[in-house]
Amino acid sequence: MSVGAYSERARAKAGESDGFSVPWSRPRPKRAVLSARLVSAITILALLAAWTVSASLQLVSPLFLPSPAAVWAKFVVVTRDGFVDATLLQHIVASLWRVFAALIAAIVVGVPVGLAIGISRIGRGVFDPLLEFLRPIPPLAYLPLIIIWFGIGEPSKILVIAIAMLAPVALSTAAGVRGVSRERVDAARSLGATRAQVIRHVILPSALPSILTGLRIALGAGWSTLVAAELVAATRGLGFMIQSAAQFLVTDVVVMGILVIAIIAFALEFVIRRIERVLVPWAGRE
Amino acid sequence: MTHLTLGKVSVHYDGQPAPAVERVSLDIGKSDSGRGDFVVLVGRSGCGKTSLLNVAAGLVEASGGLATVGGRPITGPGPDRAVVFQNDALFPWLTARENVAFALRLRGVPADKRTRRADELLSLIKLGDAGDKRIWELSGGMRQRVGLARALAAEPEFLLLDEPLGALDALTRERMQTTLLDLWAAAQVGVLMVTHGIEEALVLATRIVVLAPGPGHVVRTFETHFGRRYAAGEPIRAIKADPAFAASRAELTDAIFEGEAA
Repeated sequence: MSVGAYSERARAKAGESDGFSVPWSRPRPKRAVLSARLVSAITILALLAAWTVSASLQLVSPLFLPSPAAVWAKFVVVTRDGFVDATLLQHIVASLWRVFAALIAAIVVGVPVGLAIGISRIGRGVFDPLLEFLRPIPPLAYLPLIIIWFGIGEPSKILVIAIAMLAPVALSTAAGVRGVSRERVDAARSLGATRAQVIRHVILPSALPSILTGLRIALGAGWSTLVAAELVAATRGLGFMIQSAAQFLVTDVVVMGILVIAIIAFALEFVIRRIERVLVPWAGRE
Repeated sequence: MTHLTLGKVSVHYDGQPAPAVERVSLDIGKSDSGRGDFVVLVGRSGCGKTSLLNVAAGLVEASGGLATVGGRPITGPGPDRAVVFQNDALFPWLTARENVAFALRLRGVPADKRTRRADELLSLIKLGDAGDKRIWELSGGMRQRVGLARALAAEPEFLLLDEPLGALDALTRERMQTTLLDLWAAAQVGVLMVTHGIEEALVLATRIVVLAPGPGHVVRTFETHFGRRYAAGEPIRAIKADPAFAASRAELTDAIFEGEAA
């Protein structure tokens, strides 16, 4: 995770690129006709075309692979009339609410924990092994235990997502705190800052770019835990919608739900990058 | 008269076989009216210049001897001894003005008052119209000037400068030397500065302390007067062209490399 965060930063420093060009590669003169973006667009169009063709030739039964048109039609129907007692928007809102409630919980717990790991030896001793223990466990593994402890209500679902988000938030915060330049802290102390003032006015803002990277990773982790969290006793939510559709073999709703989840994940990523640009315009420019 | 005094200070870092500094004494005076001493530490790498400055700043604890300011032992960093580092250590999330006003904000000075004071200091360093600029929009020299203004805003009695011009290009460095002299005169502070620049030491200092490594100790102390001549109105180029300046530079260079195989 810390390696992931590091490469995120390195990429940000190299100046937004297609994610594959390494920071140390020289920029080549522009002679390529196909930009990376164009290649991506062509790839997606080709996949869509292959999907359309194979569906319309019935190479695969619609039960397994509905046509894009069918999926779109289902999208319109579910948006208007709903599926399993809720419209698409209601499913989306239910899922987003869980993820954001979990995100807030992860921030409230994770940022102070990361701060403690970063600034205090005792904090590191206490929390580091706990996080390292928690981090690699797949959410589906602890879901049953959480249901035993907290029941099948909404808190359990939020808790499962929040646990998945906790490690990225805390570890990114800790990495950011440990990366604060010594001189910056010393300068503030010599200007009369108390320990609390150093934390508030120097360490937290210095770590903010890293914290935001952590939130971005956490949102990704949380969003992918969503379906697992909605497996049990949910009545609304995108994960629940897909689950119930699968039980009735309504494949077009399953495919539509997957696409909606992907698009929302993409949109969230985009929004957080925007927020980063506004909140930490100095990142990578120091 | 306020004094920043290091009395037979030794610094021995944990895990190091030998001390970095052994029994070094220094005194920087600051008269209650008018300017203070401008003491410059020079010497080869590893002679403990920065260690001594950090002891004076309260960022490093002396393992032997006593460091005092105004007669009281130094137990930690404080705004009476503001430090400026080689890398400006400015805060990129604040504007230039907010950086300068940082010490005042820590003390809870009201916003309008600290803005006024910060703007005064910014015009003192000739950055009067750069208050709203972000740090990354400023050049290296400008950033270092903002760093100096930020230190002065704390109204320190002593300025501790750790190679403040070290990261600047040669031309900017020249110009910054006079800026430092101007600030020293305007702010009425005592200065302790670490530098690698021999010419810089001669231009700025009232006293130059030459240190030698293994472990760091004082080999010679020079009283100089070139900075005072600048303060009296003589142009800096004329001072540097003076044969007396060249002679002092040769003497100082010899002192620094004394005892080292050529």
